[in-house]
Amino acid sequence: MNFRTLLTTTAALAMMATAAHAEIKIGASLPLTGGFSIAGAKNKQGYELCVKMLNERGGINGQKVELVLSDNRSDPATAINQYERFINVDKVDAVFGTFSSKLTFPVANILAKYGYVHPIPAGGALRIYTQGHKNLFYFQPDAAEYVGRSLKGLIEDLVPEGERPKTAAVVSADDFFANAIEAGLLGQKVMNPADGSEVADLAPGYLADAGIKTVYTEKWPEEGFNDWLTLANSIKRSDAELIIALTASAEEAVQLTRALKTVKATPKMVYYSQGTQSEFYEGTKSASDGILMHTAWHPAAPFKGLLEGKEFTNADFVKAFTDEYGEAPDEDAAIPFAVCQGIEQAIEGAGSTDNAAMGKWLSERTPENPVRTILGRFAWDDKGLPLNKPFLVAQWNDGELQFVYPTGEFPEVSKMTYPKGGF
Amino acid sequence: MGEIIQIVILGLALGGVYALMGSGLSLVFGVMRIVNLAHPSLIMGGAYVAYWGFKLYGVDPLIMLPVAVVILAATAVILYKLVFEREARSAKYSEMTVLLTFALAMVVEGALGTAFTNTQRVTSPDYATDAFFIGDVFIPKGQLYAGMVSLAIIGALALFLKYSRFGYAIRATTQNREAAELLGVNVNLVGLVSFAIGIGLAGAAGSLVSFVFSFYPSKHWEWIAILMSLVVLGGMGSILGTVLASLILSVIAAFVGTYFGATWSTLTFFVALFVVLMVRPQGLFGEKPELA
Repeated sequence: MNFRTLLTTTAALAMMATAAHAEIKIGASLPLTGGFSIAGAKNKQGYELCVKMLNERGGINGQKVELVLSDNRSDPATAINQYERFINVDKVDAVFGTFSSKLTFPVANILAKYGYVHPIPAGGALRIYTQGHKNLFYFQPDAAEYVGRSLKGLIEDLVPEGERPKTAAVVSADDFFANAIEAGLLGQKVMNPADGSEVADLAPGYLADAGIKTVYTEKWPEEGFNDWLTLANSIKRSDAELIIALTASAEEAVQLTRALKTVKATPKMVYYSQGTQSEFYEGTKSASDGILMHTAWHPAAPFKGLLEGKEFTNADFVKAFTDEYGEAPDEDAAIPFAVCQGIEQAIEGAGSTDNAAMGKWLSERTPENPVRTILGRFAWDDKGLPLNKPFLVAQWNDGELQFVYPTGEFPEVSKMTYPKGGF
Repeated sequence: MGEIIQIVILGLALGGVYALMGSGLSLVFGVMRIVNLAHPSLIMGGAYVAYWGFKLYGVDPLIMLPVAVVILAATAVILYKLVFEREARSAKYSEMTVLLTFALAMVVEGALGTAFTNTQRVTSPDYATDAFFIGDVFIPKGQLYAGMVSLAIIGALALFLKYSRFGYAIRATTQNREAAELLGVNVNLVGLVSFAIGIGLAGAAGSLVSFVFSFYPSKHWEWIAILMSLVVLGGMGSILGTVLASLILSVIAAFVGTYFGATWSTLTFFVALFVVLMVRPQGLFGEKPELA
């Protein structure tokens, strides 16, 4: 065998090897440890289940999908490094977004720099979408600043005028996401942290709009806060009829709920930003009765999505997830599954993993011709926020998370318990 | 007035739990010169013992407490033999243990995460979310019981150190390791037993923490800063100092939290630490590194 033959053979073998291993690599950095670990672990389940099901059905465009997952320890700097590594070292073809506004905000700059499509499972702060990035696609109903719209609607539509709460206590973690919801409720200005310019002025705020007076506000630091009883006591002493607790994690929601029960607070209505998880119920039990929270997903919502071009409904997802993990999913697993469906449809729509083409295809979606997921239909405005998607509001009752608002959306709506009374 | 009494009660209740969490740390430093950054991660271990006892068999965390103490103390003996004993005579022992226990904390966190997942847990005996009401003022039962059990355990430890023969040996070793050894004290055994007691206290604290706070393996990073500041404030090695620092600072933090906002309450511990280090670097009780 002369040198030329050897070279040709080697090259041919190398090409065959590449063809045999042709696969789509997708990178995702998730907070599997640290403050966001509960949601991070569920995000991982959602991504992994979707990739597994895609591969069982032959992969995307006939190519197997490989998921490259890293734990960013809930740390922004680590999340940035891991996406840099996915792109420059692992040479991934596409990425899935990470969990939380806090991590998504810095990651967005990296993915924009490299021109990767950035599908976001959790990152509701409006400021993420006002940086001028054109590669963002948010897979939840709307920016966190507008969550209050659902609460206002719920109070006006479901509570008779004379019985509505008149005063509110708004307590919040000093966190990107929680601060964003608070800004909408209290009518604050949203500033761009990069240059200090005004992104939006939300005055007078959804609470004032609903005729509710805010009598108590408080913020706790993101880490190391333990004095929940003192906080709960202050909330109780404010005599607020509506308690709004904007926690950054389900864990904080558990701590605050237990403290409010201990001090025997008796509000008419309680609204949380977190707490759809089964861990929330395990930590609070009957104290969770009547607590309301917004959600992007509910097991009973009759959404119809696509997987490998075939119909894949929300009910199919619930069944597949339960079969795989032996427990029912919650929104933190459902949302990443939808992100994965979105990327699958983008790659198929673009005909390749060219991120520019994928981004173009996604941004051309319309409410009539949308991306179809288990969270329903998605089409986005030029900032990357979904068009015409209302938040769902759910309520815990007897250990079951019931879907209570908006009432016209689906047939499976439960009657809201009101007033809450004690915990 | 009712409000002020309320704030004091809430502060003391939290401080009682901090006191037990910090006292094991203080004992281990006092006797062994080990700056045990892994202490809070071992507290998490105690919390998981209580959690599984409660979850699987419905056993009250207060009843699981001795079980947690035994399991953690046994773990401590193994750790001591494996990791700490061989360098105990090194002149740079304290400095070395900082790095050593930092690594140990990560190993413990990883092991707990692998065994029990990173999901938050909390035990829910009825008293954990109940309170005694006296007029407008309430005393949270969970914190009250935890605080009382903490102080009882620390009291028993104090009596043991003050009146038992082995307690003498521990105090002697704390004051002067070489002199104690010259007088016939088996300092290696004293070291081993003190370490086991200190980590046993972490187990006890863990059982109490399990119903006072929710927890998950990486939660210990949030505790270490507060606990270290309490131990340094009290005077490294002084258990009484740690207890007083915990109670006083938790009350101050409760006032700060109520009147200046929750954001500032956590800061109280660190501001106090700065002030004490500037004015009295040995800490409140640093001159007398044994129980008064």
